[in-house]
Amino acid sequence: MSNLLLSLALALYLLTTATFMAQVMTGHDALRRIAHALLAAAFGAHATSLALQAAAEGYEVFATFQDELSFIACIMVGLYLVLAWRANMSVVGALVTPLAFLFSLSAHAFDKAAPELPRQLQNVWLPAHVAPAVLGYAVFAIAFCLSLIYLLQERQLKAKRKGGLFRRLPSLETLDELNYRFVTWGFALFTIGLITGSLLAKETWGELWSWEPVQVLSLITWLLYAGLLHARTVGWRGRKAATFTILGFVVVVVTFLSVNLIFPGKHGGSFG
Amino acid sequence: MMQREILIVGVNHRSAPVEVREKVAINNGALDASLQRLLAVASIEEGVILSTCNRVEVIAASTDGDHAVEALTDFLAIDEHVPRDHLAQHLSVYRGREAVRHLFRVAASLDSMVVGEPQILGQLKHLYNRAATVGTAGTVLHRCFHKAFSVAKRVRTETGVASKAVSVSSAAVELASKIFDRLEDKTAMLIGAGTMSELAARHLMAHGVHNILVTNRTFDRAIELARDFRGTPVPFEEFRSYLHMADVIIGSTGADGHLLTPAVIQEVLRQRKFRPVFLIDMSVPRNFDPRINDIDNVYLYDIDDLGGVASENLDERTREAEKAETIVEEEIDTFWRWVTSLEAVPTIVALRDKIESIRKAELDKTLASFPALTTEQRLALDAMTSAIVNKILHAPITHLKQQDRHDEALYLAAARKLFDIEQSEDS
Repeated sequence: MSNLLLSLALALYLLTTATFMAQVMTGHDALRRIAHALLAAAFGAHATSLALQAAAEGYEVFATFQDELSFIACIMVGLYLVLAWRANMSVVGALVTPLAFLFSLSAHAFDKAAPELPRQLQNVWLPAHVAPAVLGYAVFAIAFCLSLIYLLQERQLKAKRKGGLFRRLPSLETLDELNYRFVTWGFALFTIGLITGSLLAKETWGELWSWEPVQVLSLITWLLYAGLLHARTVGWRGRKAATFTILGFVVVVVTFLSVNLIFPGKHGGSFG
Repeated sequence: MMQREILIVGVNHRSAPVEVREKVAINNGALDASLQRLLAVASIEEGVILSTCNRVEVIAASTDGDHAVEALTDFLAIDEHVPRDHLAQHLSVYRGREAVRHLFRVAASLDSMVVGEPQILGQLKHLYNRAATVGTAGTVLHRCFHKAFSVAKRVRTETGVASKAVSVSSAAVELASKIFDRLEDKTAMLIGAGTMSELAARHLMAHGVHNILVTNRTFDRAIELARDFRGTPVPFEEFRSYLHMADVIIGSTGADGHLLTPAVIQEVLRQRKFRPVFLIDMSVPRNFDPRINDIDNVYLYDIDDLGGVASENLDERTREAEKAETIVEEEIDTFWRWVTSLEAVPTIVALRDKIESIRKAELDKTLASFPALTTEQRLALDAMTSAIVNKILHAPITHLKQQDRHDEALYLAAARKLFDIEQSEDS
């Protein structure tokens, strides 16, 4: 049942992506409404699928990074829907939806022969660590999309091009303010995830910090975003902030992939 | 039958300051309810509410004009609790032909803050459609609005009122809204005076910019302009120290060199904590160093970038406006012919004449083919056809003569159409 719903969500994501693309090209309002209805349906299917899976597997639901990706995708879509409800953001939707599709697809397609989740990891600190981390990643992903669109819009304005697509991008001020808000929230969540992660490490392996690859990379990510937020207070905004947000997200992705796929260490595939 | 008089009561950007206009403004959400309430007002038979940022006007059709003007004043005053006396000072009232002229001029954008700006027609259509949906627009207003839309179209295609200068200003506003989320809290600075730059400033104001700083080499001119824009005059020698307050800077001085250089703007940005700045250079030769555009968070557009030509030909604009006014007058005449035709008596007379002429023509034709008929027989045929015509016309004419019906105008219009006695509007 859970898999069936996920397949449905995937199909709907694909359909929504196509609708968003058509909307951005043509600017028809009706298409936006259709895209949002489709996306809301996809979100419903995806969230239900995850809830069923969590109910069936308990802590195991966090065992594979594919599942985490699926969670991130679902939250991203939820965040976008809230955003779109407040402002005309079809262009953002045209980025978020295919991203959500890719993330969910990997959850669906990859071999899910997950290693047993060791008993000692199965304590309350696991959800307390994974939940804010996953939420934070999703928020960073949206900030990343907003920043890409900011750069696109900024380039159009500087190059003095006035064209079809250009008319349908949100204003720079809107994008920058949203970016600031999302990075702030993402940073707060990421910080919580980092702290609870250390506590989980203490609970499981007996020490708060052991220079695991994930810990080092996470620290770098944290420092990057902390630097960005600090720079904002002294007037870093617009293009610089957007570039930095994109850079930060690239590091997030590298962290996420390398930890899970390249050198899993204790955090990733082999929990020993 | 009592004729319906068209009248317009309300406030607009020439009759009332924004403080009054915003108090009586009816927002989109409350429009339907207001329309319902309007129709409930005694002496108002039809009504459409125009509420935009430049005007709040009620267009009504009434069989009792004097009473309707009073009732509409109450309607506007009560609606948003403006003291009636205070409102009355700022009210403009148009009746009959004047009202028609006003509506046509509004639709053709001749009454706009920025003459020729294209948005008003869309707003008008929207507000009219709402009234039509709610059912407050009747025969007279339907016709009046449709005529107004076709007048607007004629003015747009046959004159240059919606000229390049307007499109430059529209482009400036469009760009400003690509950079800024909202214009209400933004400040614009006007350096130097010129038709084009004033027009751009007006356009920005029409889209919400409240604060305008004005500077000019002749300070008196700056004061004069500032009064016009309800803005603040700034001495030319000191304008650089005010630059950091401006989100939009419009330049149009006759200066030969660059008034603003990248270094100046860099410093201004630091003072603004790098909040974005939109510079519009309306002058030739240019006032702002083009390299300013390379600075982050700064967007510099010159007149060519905005898609305009560097002509500030005021004469041409005035000529085009005159042409547009002529079109409006022509169209009022044709519309007025239709309005007067809605009275019952001329309709009944025209109806009788038409049928009688048909009867005569047919009778003559028949009599001509039977030359052998006696005089008595001829008279009998004449009497019989007259009787048929009178019997057929009796019921419709009785109905048209009834005065106390709400849809009388509709019946008159229908009768004219069915019997093809419509005075062609375009004749």
